[in-house]
Amino acid sequence: MTQMEDQEKQLEFALASVQKQGVHMKMCLDKNKLMEALKHASAMLAELRTSLLSPKSYYELFMKVTNELCYLDLYLVEEFERGRKVDDLYQIIQYAGNIVPRLYLLITVGLVYIKTNTNLKRDLLKDLVEMCRGVQHPLRGLFLRHYLLQCSKNVLPDIPDNEETEHPEGTVRDSIDFILMNFAEMNKLWVRMQHQGHSREKERREKEREELKILVGTNLVRLSHLDSITLDKYRKLHKKLIQCSIKVNNPKFEPVQQKFHLLCYPFVMWKQHLQVVLPGILEQIVSCRDAIAQEYLMECIIQVFPDEFHLYTLNVFLKSCCELQPSVNVKTIVILMINRLTIFTFHNSNASEVKLFEVLTEQIANIIQSRDLPLEDTVSLQAAMVGLALKCYPDNLDYVDKSLQTISDTFAKRKIEKISHKNPVSRELMALMKLPIDNYNDLLLVMKLKHFPEIIEYFDYTGRKTIAIYLLQNAVQCRTMIPSVEQTEIVLTMVSPLVKDQPDQPVGEEDPEDFAEEQSLLGRFVHHMKADEPDLQFKILMAEREHFSLGGNKRICYTLPPLVFQAYQLALIYSGKRKEDELWEKKCRKIFQFCHQTILELTKAELAELPLRLFLQGALTISQINFKNYETVAYEFYSQAFTLYEEEISESKCQLAAIILLIGTFEKINCFDEENAEPVRTQCALAASKLLKKPDQCRAVAISSHLFWSAQNNVGQPLQDGKRVMDCLKKCVRITKQCMEVSVQVQLFVELLNYYVYFYERGNNNVSVDILNQLIGQIKKEITGLTANEETEQITKHFENTIAYLQNRIESADTEDSVFKALEGLML
Amino acid sequence: MCSVLVIGDMHVPFRSSGLPAQFKKLLTPGKIQHVLCTGNLCTKEMYEFLKSIANDVHIVRGDFDENLNYPDQKVVNVGQFKVGLCHGHQVIPWGDPESLALLQRQLDVDVLVFGHTHKFDAFELGNKFFLNPGSATGAFNPLNPDIIPSFVVMDIQSSTVVSYVYRLVDDEVKIEKIQYTKK
Repeated sequence: MTQMEDQEKQLEFALASVQKQGVHMKMCLDKNKLMEALKHASAMLAELRTSLLSPKSYYELFMKVTNELCYLDLYLVEEFERGRKVDDLYQIIQYAGNIVPRLYLLITVGLVYIKTNTNLKRDLLKDLVEMCRGVQHPLRGLFLRHYLLQCSKNVLPDIPDNEETEHPEGTVRDSIDFILMNFAEMNKLWVRMQHQGHSREKERREKEREELKILVGTNLVRLSHLDSITLDKYRKLHKKLIQCSIKVNNPKFEPVQQKFHLLCYPFVMWKQHLQVVLPGILEQIVSCRDAIAQEYLMECIIQVFPDEFHLYTLNVFLKSCCELQPSVNVKTIVILMINRLTIFTFHNSNASEVKLFEVLTEQIANIIQSRDLPLEDTVSLQAAMVGLALKCYPDNLDYVDKSLQTISDTFAKRKIEKISHKNPVSRELMALMKLPIDNYNDLLLVMKLKHFPEIIEYFDYTGRKTIAIYLLQNAVQCRTMIPSVEQTEIVLTMVSPLVKDQPDQPVGEEDPEDFAEEQSLLGRFVHHMKADEPDLQFKILMAEREHFSLGGNKRICYTLPPLVFQAYQLALIYSGKRKEDELWEKKCRKIFQFCHQTILELTKAELAELPLRLFLQGALTISQINFKNYETVAYEFYSQAFTLYEEEISESKCQLAAIILLIGTFEKINCFDEENAEPVRTQCALAASKLLKKPDQCRAVAISSHLFWSAQNNVGQPLQDGKRVMDCLKKCVRITKQCMEVSVQVQLFVELLNYYVYFYERGNNNVSVDILNQLIGQIKKEITGLTANEETEQITKHFENTIAYLQNRIESADTEDSVFKALEGLML
Repeated sequence: MCSVLVIGDMHVPFRSSGLPAQFKKLLTPGKIQHVLCTGNLCTKEMYEFLKSIANDVHIVRGDFDENLNYPDQKVVNVGQFKVGLCHGHQVIPWGDPESLALLQRQLDVDVLVFGHTHKFDAFELGNKFFLNPGSATGAFNPLNPDIIPSFVVMDIQSSTVVSYVYRLVDDEVKIEKIQYTKK
């Protein structure tokens, strides 16, 4: 037979016996044969003497038995109330043969006495709780006392203690004594279980103890439910006193001092009770020297008693934490308490009477000193303190700083230099560091914590980088602006693992995707280092460049471009202040010098595409600001871009993209005088015609035609050089004819037709109907010969759209619109 | 009905630190079927953000995009509409309606979406619809000093496009409605 089956069998026998005796007991009671009934009750209760059952099975049996006992209890109460007194019943039961049934019966009968005659309450309760000592077997004793606690639930006296009047039915002091004693005895029984039996069975015993812990804890629950322990009762009393004192108020005869004393009386009384309850419990917990009991009961105290109770007894509680067994996880207990008080204080701002943070700080220091706590536990205790400070005293940065300082001091004392990110200390410390970031949601406030940066330094490379990313993500998300050079310096130092290579950086390639993500975060943050005052803003930009220049080639392509764009914006701001700041021109010039240098740094990093585009954006910006000699500055930027195009960009696809950008940008720059502009236009057109592929040549040259039409020089008029436009387009026709593939030819012809039409509409007289007809004829001739496929279909559609457009223009042109009237000669 | 988000020229991180919070609140998954992006995102995270709004994302390459896989131009069919997509820095003069019309005829589209100027624009030309959603982050552009962050949602139903223009003016989202019907 297995142990399980054996248990089941034993329980089954016991339950059957209880069932049988229970039925007999009830039958006897129904016939009013009390003595007979008690005999059966005693027999039934005798089943609880077993030592064969596990706690779980014993509990089942206990439930069944106590359920049956209810019947007896109800019968007795009814009889007593009817006036049928059995005076010596209590004595009669004392003669029951065995102690277990005897005590269960005594409790049942005793409580009936108390219910019917409250004057007996105090003495009987004391008697019962003492007599239970007779059972010293842990399991049996625990359940017996549990029964006592259960039965006495609603009869415990709960009148505030008052020395002046006699209370034969007892006061709350008697209840406290009663429960404290029961608790102490139960705890002893529970602890004793640990030391019974063979050491092999330690694990099983601990599991059994775990199953029984709630029985011990129930004592604390009962204590916490006493009205006199919760503050509510005293609040009501206090309110009542205030109302009374207002009624009888006579300032002449009632000194303020005395009145104050009177009003505080309820609170004083309350505190007196607390001073009895908690030390009583703690003394038992400490003296039992059992780690399992201590850990469970300390947590139990935190959970069952009201918040105010903890607030006023905090010192006592924390002091006894120092005295717990070395294996008790004190950190968890203290953090549980801190978290509980944090929530309470957060919701009750009036709880400020107690200097919570100070008390906790002092006591935690004591705990750390008296116990050899692992470093990570010390850190997580401080994390809980930081959590408290942030939630309850958000304006008091010093509190957070104090916790940080404590950590810093501890590290210094233990001679710690760097903490690996794999170390549990690093994990706890990281959680702590994230708290102020998450709570303030304001990087500027985080920076006000004096000890924050020095703690960062304790992390290894991975840890520091994690914090850096966390800080920047928060700033970007919360749109925090960094308004000064000093703060810029501090931030960029704090996030230094992102800004430049670190001495302790592990060798080996970083994940390129992660790296790109981190660097673009830093790039985004550049837009957050911004002062309202332009001179200051320029200083910030210079400070940033100092840092970013150290980042190396792989970083500067992320960090320098945002800096350049910020500088361009700043130049426009100075331009807007030209009337207020007489030095604005000089300052603009300096900004563009700064940008020029910055972009050249990128070219030195062997980049071409990016600096080319930055130079072009710069040229555009400069052309918008009419400062002294701005033309030469713009020309410098543009020519730098052009040089990069000529010297650094070799791939044909990139060349096409770049030349189109050079042309498009030049079309918008209107500050060059003709002497500078003319060579650039020619250069662009020439470069376009030198591209590798014929179709690319054709398209780029066609685009360059705009440079001779809508582009402006510093005179402010579009050039509108119809002849030069025609030169470009004619060149395109020639290039097209050189293309080998017919479909490509036709496609380019259709595109060119559109260009001709475009310039015709814009009033370029050099475009004649003849030229258009020629082109249309050419396209019509060739388009029919194309093999049908998706590409030719697109070309045909493009051509049809063009013809439809022209037809539409001709039809909708009125008589005065001579330009479109003339198109009537088209052979569509 | 089909909702199409038209958005572009974010320029993160070079010119902007990110989308305005007010826009992010509006741009949530489940409302949009297609995303048309005019380019200049410029980061992978921005692409992932667009992908989180709708699965069908079309992107063309802007002048600051490094991703060479984005095409210069693209045609997308939505309901009865052929929509052309091009960043627009290749169309010179930038933002010029007649030049854009050249591209529209070439791509043979009903709607041409373009960007680059960072300025919202919408107009009809020859019964074709031209739409520039502006810059969703209000990214700096030297030619346009007063930039208002904007994007557009096109509701397409049979032969009508109703465009809702979202603009951030003084930290407040202003919405404007523009209707275009294809003949």
